[in-house]
Amino acid sequence: MEVVVASSSVDAGIGCWDLHTGAEQLRHKSCWSPPHGLVSVGGRFLASSHLSPQSSGGCIFFWSWSKPQIGVRSFPAETIKPLSANHPGTYIAGGGVSGDIYLWEVETGRLLKKWHAHYRAVTCLVFSEDDSLLISGSEDGSVRVWSLFMIFDDLRSQEASQLYEHSFTGHALRVTDVVIGYGGSNAIIVSASEDRTCKVWSLSTGALLRNIVFPAIIDAIVLDPAEHVFYAGSRDGKIFIAALHTESLVTSSYGMHIIGSFSNHSKSVTCLAYGISGNLLISGSEDGMVRVWDARTHNIVRMFKYAKGPVSNICVVRPEIDSTNRISQSSSRKQGSDLPPPLEKYSNSVEDLDAKMPILLRGDKRCAEVSYLSSHVISSHINELQRHGSAAASELEMGKLKDDYQKSMQMVNQWKKMYENLHQFCVKELLDGGQARV
Amino acid sequence: MTRSKAKSKKPGGVDFKKIRRKIGKKLPPPKNATNTEIKSKAIVLPEQSVAADKAGLAVNKKGLTLKELLQQTSHHNAKVRRDALVGIKDLFNKFPTEMKLHKYAAIEKLRERIGDDDKVVRRTLYDLFKSVILPGCKEDNQELIISLLMAYIFNAMTHLAFDIRIMAFDFLDLVLQFYPPSFSSYAEKIFQNYEDILRKNQYFSQDKGKLKDVLAGLIRCLSLLPWNKGETNLVDKDDNGRILLHAFDDDMPISSNGFSHIIKKLRDLAPVLINSFLEFTPSITAMASIEGKSFGCMLSILHGIDLIIRSFVHGADKESESPSLEGEPNGAMLDITISSLLLKKVFPLFPLSPAHHLSEKDYNRLVDLNMAVAKIFLELNEWIYLPPDLLEKYLEFMEHALFGKVCNDAQSDNAVSEKRLIQLLLFIPKFVSRGASHWTTRLLQAFTYILRESKPGSLLKLACLSAIEDMLTPIQAMLSLEKSNPENLELQEYLMAWIAELPLLLIQLGDKHPACSEVALRLQLHIGQRALSNSSLACMYDDIQDKLKIFYCTCQGGGKKCSGPFVRLPRESQELSLCCLYYFSHLDLPILKSIACCCLSPELDRSVLFRIIEIIHSAYREGHIKIADHLSIFITFVLRFEVSPEGSSGLKSVILCQTFKSMTTLLCSYMAQIGGNYLVLNIIEKVIIDHILLKPPLDNSCSLLRMIVTVDSKPTRLSEQSIIVLGSYLSKYLIDAAQCLPEDYDEQCKSSTQLTSVHYYLLPCFFLFDRCHKLLNLVLKNMGSAIAESSLWPMSDDYTQHPSNWLVRVNAVASVLLLIDKDPKMQQILSSFKEGVDSIIQNVSSLQSSEKISMTIEEKHKIKCTHDRLKMLLR
Repeated sequence: MEVVVASSSVDAGIGCWDLHTGAEQLRHKSCWSPPHGLVSVGGRFLASSHLSPQSSGGCIFFWSWSKPQIGVRSFPAETIKPLSANHPGTYIAGGGVSGDIYLWEVETGRLLKKWHAHYRAVTCLVFSEDDSLLISGSEDGSVRVWSLFMIFDDLRSQEASQLYEHSFTGHALRVTDVVIGYGGSNAIIVSASEDRTCKVWSLSTGALLRNIVFPAIIDAIVLDPAEHVFYAGSRDGKIFIAALHTESLVTSSYGMHIIGSFSNHSKSVTCLAYGISGNLLISGSEDGMVRVWDARTHNIVRMFKYAKGPVSNICVVRPEIDSTNRISQSSSRKQGSDLPPPLEKYSNSVEDLDAKMPILLRGDKRCAEVSYLSSHVISSHINELQRHGSAAASELEMGKLKDDYQKSMQMVNQWKKMYENLHQFCVKELLDGGQARV
Repeated sequence: MTRSKAKSKKPGGVDFKKIRRKIGKKLPPPKNATNTEIKSKAIVLPEQSVAADKAGLAVNKKGLTLKELLQQTSHHNAKVRRDALVGIKDLFNKFPTEMKLHKYAAIEKLRERIGDDDKVVRRTLYDLFKSVILPGCKEDNQELIISLLMAYIFNAMTHLAFDIRIMAFDFLDLVLQFYPPSFSSYAEKIFQNYEDILRKNQYFSQDKGKLKDVLAGLIRCLSLLPWNKGETNLVDKDDNGRILLHAFDDDMPISSNGFSHIIKKLRDLAPVLINSFLEFTPSITAMASIEGKSFGCMLSILHGIDLIIRSFVHGADKESESPSLEGEPNGAMLDITISSLLLKKVFPLFPLSPAHHLSEKDYNRLVDLNMAVAKIFLELNEWIYLPPDLLEKYLEFMEHALFGKVCNDAQSDNAVSEKRLIQLLLFIPKFVSRGASHWTTRLLQAFTYILRESKPGSLLKLACLSAIEDMLTPIQAMLSLEKSNPENLELQEYLMAWIAELPLLLIQLGDKHPACSEVALRLQLHIGQRALSNSSLACMYDDIQDKLKIFYCTCQGGGKKCSGPFVRLPRESQELSLCCLYYFSHLDLPILKSIACCCLSPELDRSVLFRIIEIIHSAYREGHIKIADHLSIFITFVLRFEVSPEGSSGLKSVILCQTFKSMTTLLCSYMAQIGGNYLVLNIIEKVIIDHILLKPPLDNSCSLLRMIVTVDSKPTRLSEQSIIVLGSYLSKYLIDAAQCLPEDYDEQCKSSTQLTSVHYYLLPCFFLFDRCHKLLNLVLKNMGSAIAESSLWPMSDDYTQHPSNWLVRVNAVASVLLLIDKDPKMQQILSSFKEGVDSIIQNVSSLQSSEKISMTIEEKHKIKCTHDRLKMLLR
């Protein structure tokens, strides 16, 4: 199941719709998420930064898929606006208004690292495809690429003159969105800014590959999966198509490298997402509608009425509802079962960990690195596995295996049938062919 | 043979047949005669060239073809050779196609003359290559031509005759000028040859001019090294026009292997240069005046050393990036010899001071030399540890130079000294980035002096600005690390002083130096982007805005023609300056007003106007502008916009109208985005009503009404008082609007432009009426009384001095009512106010019958028509 999740910066909850059937799912309550503040953590649960006018500081809330109420509340040291999680959902990164980036471990809620990244508030955060790089955009107009290896290597980061791998300072105003393409170290990064431009950067050389000037401010961008083009949602309600690896006509009416545009004749486009399966483009707008477009024909396929207020975030997620349910049944934890503990405010748990560690590691320079592997997480996992050895767990395991067995048997039968059919067909063909020749 | 055969036949015959021959008769040809006729297609005879027919062939003045000329170039007589070269030049000039066809052959033959014994021949050849052949081969395969020539040039460089060698360097210079990329493939050999020639300094002692030429060539080669010409390359790399994202880059830098070879050569070259420099120094200190040529030589030598040092520094940088490149100790170890040589021999000489009093010219020359030495020293200082006492001396010199104490006062502001100072300025950011010390303070003080003293728009100012830009990051890094350090605090103070200079500079620059303005604005933007991390810096940055007011709008009195330099800057600079606005943590009303004033200047481009509004709104969204200020600026925009340009006597410009309409649309959409319409209405209601009382022009009031409509809701939220004010105003507004219609306006032609524009004016009123029926009632009443008034006191009002004037008014009221009636929704509302309409009709009819006003028959007819039209309405 592919679910479109949308949230707003004014309270309208988190709306979820099945992308292919259009059925509305559970609406999660009380969410005021700023742009780029909503994220699905590995498909297991939803996390969102929360910036309501009532509370002074920002907080981060978790929702499980099955419950509309807030599952876990965390209160970080400062207001966090953008959030991002790596693909398996083991880490959450958040960007603070002071320009700091925080990195938490989801399983334990530990603040693993915090570093000063920008001169002004971080506006967007995104992990690269292989989760080794974190790309951040800021209000000061810079886009920086952080290697997590560097961040966690205390020795190297002390030696190096700067922590970041690249710092792109081409934008004159606040960066509104950043996306990274495929291709590992040779990927491209596209950044949009309030200075009405989108810039394409090369990750390998750190060079500016292309500068595209739009007729309006671009608030959201999304890459076409094949990276032929990218779509840019503008404040005047149009979605522009800009060329990447495709031939662009110089004589376009909008400007260099802009191939065309399509419009929903409404207020500004605030966020864009691309469907996981199917060639679908999903846009959220200031008027509170979520529109699903056929990316090829640019026709609206579906429309979700979200709320009156502006949509600030859209994610397309494949929620792991089944597996989480099973765990919640089996595990001994009673409430908020499938959600991890809240994120910590300060990173202070390093000391007690060190106490447990053998002292001989201290002399080694790699010691610092080791401490970030958070050994007690692993030991708790081991504990859990041992508990799984109990009768209930083994029963469950048996059930699972039986399920699997049945499924496999069905598959086998199906394959057999298919083989039979194919065999018959071939024989028939051969015979027919032979007769015809005769 | 034939004869003997005939003889042998004779005995065979019995008798001789007597043949009688007649005298004079021709004999028949004998049977055994040999055919002596010669047949051939052509006869080739070696002949004299002078006599040959050369029609159709390309020849020079003397009638020689290219082939002959080339042959003559290897003639043993020097004069013939020279003449041949002159001839070739002449030929090629006359027949460019001839050169295209035979250039490779020609070059192949001509290159032999590079090592010619005769000086005149070499000169002529040089001239031939320079003026004809190389310029003509620009589009061809240059690599091939170069490779044809290079071998012979290198050969000539090792010739025994000194003159030939020198000339070979000239040829090399020529070739490199013609095709600079070829340098990289021959670099090693070229430097080797330079080294060899410079070692032979005994030859040069007589002729300084030649040495100067050779050094000039060497410097040209050194600056061709890829790392020395880096700055110029960056400009070309602006690849906005590239069609492909990942295009193949063909300008490969020299491979790391080649690089290390070149470095090795340079290492050999440096001591030679230093030695030849040292040979000059005694003459400098001893002599009373410096000879021009030897001064030139010294300067070139120093320049050369500087370039070599820079290459080493670059090499060291590269090595630090990839330490495991080669096992050989290339970096630090490599240059111990050179640096120690410099330290021992050259640096202690500094500053070169004359033994005697020098003339001004000579003094300046000496300063130049000192500057060059200082530059080398500072360059080296970046990279290796130099004794502090020496450093002290150099820094002192630098400080003096910056304060302008080194040069004579009379010449302190000429271009030459400016250029020197620019070179020194480059080192300040580098020095500052090494950390604070008491010298940084002194240097920065000098720097601040220069920044203030340099002329706006000069290159020096530009260099200062870019130096500040370079210093921004290190200073901020230092400040963020430890704030309490007093030296760091001083740094911060300097930074603040520079920031305070910026707005003054921008205003001084005006629109005269767009390039310099752009740099200054970019600097301002970068400071703004980073200001937040440091509170006092942010404060300082915010304080700029007060001074920047004049940049946007020169006079604050609200008079006309007061646009500041901003309006006339190029588009990019305008964009930068607008971006700066976004980063003020709070934008105050005064600067907003001056921006608004500049927006309304007719010189400003329409797209810039929209961009300004967009950025102001972005700043508002970030909370940098108070909501009241924001809204009041919006209202100012709408109120002060002039639809009719000055001097057009009230005629509206269509383009301006369009702009105004779309601006209003934009502003209204932004107002709607603010959210909390009720609140917004509360804020703007009073202001707008106050302004409406002053009766602004039609278009402006229409936009004001649109604003109200945007934030109002269905049952109106306007206060009672405002409704009364609006009621009286709208009746006049509607009448004015209806007067835009032509008098003979036909109801059938709906598409007329006037009708749509009138409809545009009426639309906001319709919304108001829909939301507040009472307002319509009020308006109807007011209109009725207006007609009644004019009928009662026709002479008292200005309006009704002439009957046709009030006639127009009555007519307008009628059209308004008809237009309202046309709208289906309005029709419904109107029908609930029958008595209002009735009273208007009543008034009209009473006017008709009034005897106080004298009307012509035509006018009477018109009023009758109007009356009838209104009556139609009632049915």
